[in-house]
Amino acid sequence: MDFVGITINHKTAPIEILELLHLSREEIIEFISHLKMNFKEGVILSTCNRTEIYSLMPNYNLDSNKIITSLLEFKKVENLNNEHFRKYFSCGAVKHLFSVAAGIDSLVIGDSQILGQVKEAYEISEDLNFSGSVIKRVFEAALKVGKRAIKETAIGEGAVTVSYAAVQVVEKIYSNLDKKSALIIGAGETGELAAVHLRDKGIGKISISNRTIERAEKLAEKVKGGIIPFPSLKEHLHNYDIIISATSAENLIIHYEDLAAAVKKRKGQPIVIMDIAIPRDVDPKVKEIDSVFYHDMESLKVIVDQNIQKRKNEIPKIESIIMEEMQNFFAWYNTLEIVPVIKSLRNFFDSIREDELEKIKHKVTPEDFNKIEDMTRRMIGRLLHNPTIKLRQLAEQGINPDDIANHSFLIKELFSLDNKTNGTEGNKKEKN
Amino acid sequence: MLSTISFFNILLPFLYIIVFSVYAFDFFSEKSKFTHSKRIFLFVTLIAHILYIIFRTVEFDHTPITSKFEIFSLLACSIAFSYFLLELLTDIRGTGTFILFFSVVFQVISSLFIEHNYQVPEVLRNRMLGIHVISALLGYSGFTISAVYGILFLILYKNLKTNKFGLIFNRLPSLEILEKLSFYSVLIGFILLSIAMIIGIIWLPSAFPNFRYSDPKLVGTFFVWFIYSLGIASKLIGKWYGRKVIIFSLSGFVLTMVSLILTSTLQNTFHSFY
Repeated sequence: MDFVGITINHKTAPIEILELLHLSREEIIEFISHLKMNFKEGVILSTCNRTEIYSLMPNYNLDSNKIITSLLEFKKVENLNNEHFRKYFSCGAVKHLFSVAAGIDSLVIGDSQILGQVKEAYEISEDLNFSGSVIKRVFEAALKVGKRAIKETAIGEGAVTVSYAAVQVVEKIYSNLDKKSALIIGAGETGELAAVHLRDKGIGKISISNRTIERAEKLAEKVKGGIIPFPSLKEHLHNYDIIISATSAENLIIHYEDLAAAVKKRKGQPIVIMDIAIPRDVDPKVKEIDSVFYHDMESLKVIVDQNIQKRKNEIPKIESIIMEEMQNFFAWYNTLEIVPVIKSLRNFFDSIREDELEKIKHKVTPEDFNKIEDMTRRMIGRLLHNPTIKLRQLAEQGINPDDIANHSFLIKELFSLDNKTNGTEGNKKEKN
Repeated sequence: MLSTISFFNILLPFLYIIVFSVYAFDFFSEKSKFTHSKRIFLFVTLIAHILYIIFRTVEFDHTPITSKFEIFSLLACSIAFSYFLLELLTDIRGTGTFILFFSVVFQVISSLFIEHNYQVPEVLRNRMLGIHVISALLGYSGFTISAVYGILFLILYKNLKTNKFGLIFNRLPSLEILEKLSFYSVLIGFILLSIAMIIGIIWLPSAFPNFRYSDPKLVGTFFVWFIYSLGIASKLIGKWYGRKVIIFSLSGFVLTMVSLILTSTLQNTFHSFY
């Protein structure tokens, strides 16, 4: 099979190089028009952690350096070590693509976004007429692997980021987040992630507090929340069931006394504090207060590590799914070789039948001719039934492509079918 | 009929053990194979148990409340039935293991020692007494279930406070749900115990010539009822939350047990039939 995949990803290169070779949607579209000069089909996948190009090489030429050179030229990157690229061929390329779609090759194992990115990459190629029947089938199978991985395994379950782990703990304390209120202190990346997770979980009310009011406003707008001025933060603590603090402050922002006063005002109603800042924003002594649930980076990291391990434990299941889908794909792929042979074999027998029928057409009555015609059709059908079934089975179950090629060759030789093959898919495959 | 009763008597402990095992497997295993089907096991067991109670009532011509072991079987059934209703209403399926354990214990003891009793005092055949005892048992089942949820609450609370994120953290519902389940169980138990007490106060004086309001069992039950009514009022009116409510509920349960044990061992009560 002349399917090739080249990849540069988080395992093979540092982030600076990945950034150099990252392709935006517009760049992918432009790059495809360059590739079309030398390649008939292909798909380009580019995310924060990987840039990958899959293609069917012309005339079984598996030299993928041409693709790498095209990419480097397009991105105007010079002196890049070739060792940063991994090259996959045939089965290896299919297996790699399936692993990527299933999320087991991702930086965060079980990453839920990658499947959508694979789908989008394929759709761009399809829109630009850069994908044929084989690419279509490979990517359909890859998307199926990704969906099965999500549905049949726990690869995407559990929080694997500290912000999400914080939300997971909150859900173990409160049942209905839609009736709860949350205060996010710090509008940086971590605070933003936590705010978005809470919004996605349907939090009833959310407020943002940040030293720089503009950043607080921006995040508040994103999560449809309110703003608490940073200087008056402590006066509002009692109004919130959940407080997530993720600032880069050097000293504590919330002290034991602040929270003790807030709890008193809340008449014992529980309050959850998630301190996901380094160094800490909240005095850890607050955990001694009966109705305060305090968690910091250290404790949340325990959940993250547990969940990552659980996801890793799912990899063998995903690998079985990949093997199953590879078998299905290659069963289909192998029939591409055999279908034209079967078709020409049947044509060959039919032409002999028609020749012989023509010879007796005027020697028998029309009624007898019809009977003979029916009989010969049934006879040819029965004669070719077993060979057809066996050939299909061989193609669908055959692990070794040489077996299929040998059988095809033998049949073509025995019946001199070389010039009679007219299967379009077979020709297409040859061209590829 | 007697052979059918004997058959059910042997069958029920096995059914409860199977149900308990299925719930336990689902709780401890990561695969969650029985998440949806375990309820069917419980339903079948409950149907079998209800049939058993009906057969006994018809065959022996009295509600099965005439011996400790008949009471144990009723208690097993009422705990399982209360849990089944709670699971249906809330769709929280992860706590059955801890509740159904009590049904297993009560039914196994009952099946081992129960006797076929045709000869019982006439008063024990009275239907009013049947309703009185069954509603009291359902009430106590409610308190038992509430106590189990209370203990689960405290375990999860401690896990959360000490940053332990193991099986308990992963499997149990949230603290708020456990608190609600515990409170609803107490509420239902309290209502049913109140019904039992009202029937008792109205009907018992006419049925028992030696009835007296100062009877230890009556005083003990009233004391338990009063403690629970205080707890419910504190939650509803005083807006108590979390651990405070749970500790109050558990204290109520401990008092209930102490009261039941003490009053059952006292000899000078009209309220002892066994």
